[in-house]
Amino acid sequence: MTSASAIELGRPPVQRQSLWRYWRGGLQGSEFTWAIAFVVPYIAVFLAFVIYPAAYGLWMGSNPSLYSEVFSDPIYLNTVVNTLIFLAFGVNVKLFLALLLSGFFMRPGWWTKVLLLIFVLPWAVPALPTFISIHWMLNGEWGLVNNALWILFGVDGPSWLNSRWLALGSAIFSHVWKWTPFWTVILLAGRMSIPQEIYDAAKVDGATGLRRFLYVTFPLLANLYLVLTLLATIFLLGDFNSVYFVTGGGPANSTHLLATLGVVRDMLELGKPQLGVAAVMSALPLLIPLVIILMRKLRTAEVQL
Amino acid sequence: MSTLTRRSVIRSSLGLAAAGAVARPFVANAAAKTAEVWWVQGFVKEEDSAFKKMVDDYEKASGNKIDHSLTPYAALRQKEISAMQAGVVPDMMEVADFWLAPLQSWDDRLLDVSDVVEPVKDQFVKTALPCCYYYNNVTKRRAYYLAPMKIAAVPFHIWKSLVEKGGQKISDLPNTWDAFMDFFKPVQDGLRKQGMRNVYAMGYQITANGVDPINTFNAWMIAYGGQGLVTPDGRLHTDDPKVKEACVKALVNLATPFKDGYVPPGCVNWNDADDNNAFHSKLMVMDFDGTISTEVALLSMGRKDDFDDVLTHGLPLSNDGKELPSQVALFGPVIPKGAKNVDVAKEFMKYMIQPKVLNEYLKGGLGRWALPIPEMVKSDPFWLSDDPHRKAYVEQSVIKPTIPIYEAYNPAVAQVGAEHVFMTAVFDFLNNGVAAEPAIDKAFKRAEEIFAKYPIQQA
Repeated sequence: MTSASAIELGRPPVQRQSLWRYWRGGLQGSEFTWAIAFVVPYIAVFLAFVIYPAAYGLWMGSNPSLYSEVFSDPIYLNTVVNTLIFLAFGVNVKLFLALLLSGFFMRPGWWTKVLLLIFVLPWAVPALPTFISIHWMLNGEWGLVNNALWILFGVDGPSWLNSRWLALGSAIFSHVWKWTPFWTVILLAGRMSIPQEIYDAAKVDGATGLRRFLYVTFPLLANLYLVLTLLATIFLLGDFNSVYFVTGGGPANSTHLLATLGVVRDMLELGKPQLGVAAVMSALPLLIPLVIILMRKLRTAEVQL
Repeated sequence: MSTLTRRSVIRSSLGLAAAGAVARPFVANAAAKTAEVWWVQGFVKEEDSAFKKMVDDYEKASGNKIDHSLTPYAALRQKEISAMQAGVVPDMMEVADFWLAPLQSWDDRLLDVSDVVEPVKDQFVKTALPCCYYYNNVTKRRAYYLAPMKIAAVPFHIWKSLVEKGGQKISDLPNTWDAFMDFFKPVQDGLRKQGMRNVYAMGYQITANGVDPINTFNAWMIAYGGQGLVTPDGRLHTDDPKVKEACVKALVNLATPFKDGYVPPGCVNWNDADDNNAFHSKLMVMDFDGTISTEVALLSMGRKDDFDDVLTHGLPLSNDGKELPSQVALFGPVIPKGAKNVDVAKEFMKYMIQPKVLNEYLKGGLGRWALPIPEMVKSDPFWLSDDPHRKAYVEQSVIKPTIPIYEAYNPAVAQVGAEHVFMTAVFDFLNNGVAAEPAIDKAFKRAEEIFAKYPIQQA
């Protein structure tokens, strides 16, 4: 027997032992048993409340005939257009405002802290009463908005919820109003994590005001901003409340999003949950790439000044 | 004192699990006489009290237990759809919309309760009974899937004081369709002259939301002679010129007052309760809305003066002076397939639809829902003598000519309704510049596409 073959002979038990040790995470005896005992409930909850519902949803929407029914729905194309418009304006207006406002709230002084407290209120209050109140405020005849216009300026305001574009605009506005504070606070935290030394160095180099924002702040926030944009897009694709409670999908079903069309019209009114799931799942070609890009960005986030 | 060790914890857990397994058959035995019932929460608390009393009486009489829950109707509908999808259903659930029962019967998801309904059906309003008698696409025949309990029609609700304030007399209210509608226009003009800038003559729903706009379009269409849009054999008659003419007239006559400013502009995007709220706030003179929930809610809120100020009015005559049938819906419980305690559920169902029990239950709910048993309605002064609102409503829904909602004939109508095909035509006419006839043609085309998916085998 050569020395090499002796090594070969000896290797498998060593490998098995290493794999076993790797699998046990370096834990010994009862430590490993306890670790399993603590992990099992989490796995059970994950399987029951994440894997099972997702798999069940995929199964519900797995019949190809459902998609021909979804695509032949006369309002489906309008709904897709609405969803894209809602995404384009809802995400970008909200995040751009949040970026600007986070800069404002970086200003020193007690009054900015008080303003911030007031500013986050729309996000803190529950969504349902908020959006129902907005629905009432936008009522063309008896709503607060048009009555204020009449009292202050003597003009009749438009019927905000009577045309497709005004109604969709109202829903987007409501969404932006409700969610801008949340993203502002996150960007504010991002700004606060930028070391003061970098700003000091930039100041020495003559970078102030807009130049400081363009060459220091924004590059350092760019990755965060991109990740937030992806997250906001994913959240908004599943948003239901803004449209359902502000416009109800109306007038004449012209402001539905994929989420409201699937859940309200197909699932609840038609009583066809499979059709509703198919309508919602038709957003997957957009959603899956977004999730993949998001995962990659989260792994490779780095900053280049 | 013993020490808590890993082994003792595992041993105790296993012991508890074993004890649970042993105890389970006992619980199952106890549940054999219990039925789980999901019921719609009333608009007023008296409706819920009346239901609970009926349950108590049944439990005392039978020894069975009814494990009930009361849920607002929109939320209950969501719960019911989810339950049937998941296959975890109650033993009985109330249906309070036009669409669930016909669509679920079509898909063979409800239990045939003909053995419950057949023995008593002769006592009920005959024209309304098809609302319980649905087509099953698996068995290819119709059967009773819903127990008749509550009948509902759509009356007009009118503020008498606003009519008088607007310079008209309520006694002058005409009784033919177009004249009846036109009566309210000068009332609004009169009120506007007095500075009431936000009060409107008429408050019907022309939105694409809920069942109210469907009731509205159908009532106008029937008034203009379009009753035959769907016939009892489940067929759609969009090829009938009379039906098309009626649909075009309905569209034009619903939209024109809107264009002329006699209907609140916001009504094209109202939610189900928006017209009720606006009417309660006296922001419109007349409302067209199902049941007398509007009046009952006023009474329940302690607004007796306002309650007395409202006139409940059935349908006027057609323009050529003929009596118009009101579309009525019957609501009640169904037993979903997969229910575990069918015997108790059926027994409770039989109990509830006994005329005496049903009468007491509906009276307890202040008569918001009418009793669908004509003989008992005529013999009990509660329905036709004690209150003018109830009298008008019961006459409209039980005594005078009625036809069932079209969903009873073919579940395709449920999808036509859910898509709000005809109100979309009204909206196209109002907002998108489409002429009345092409708008109706487009609606007919979509209705035909939907009906093609629901073929009904004729006997």
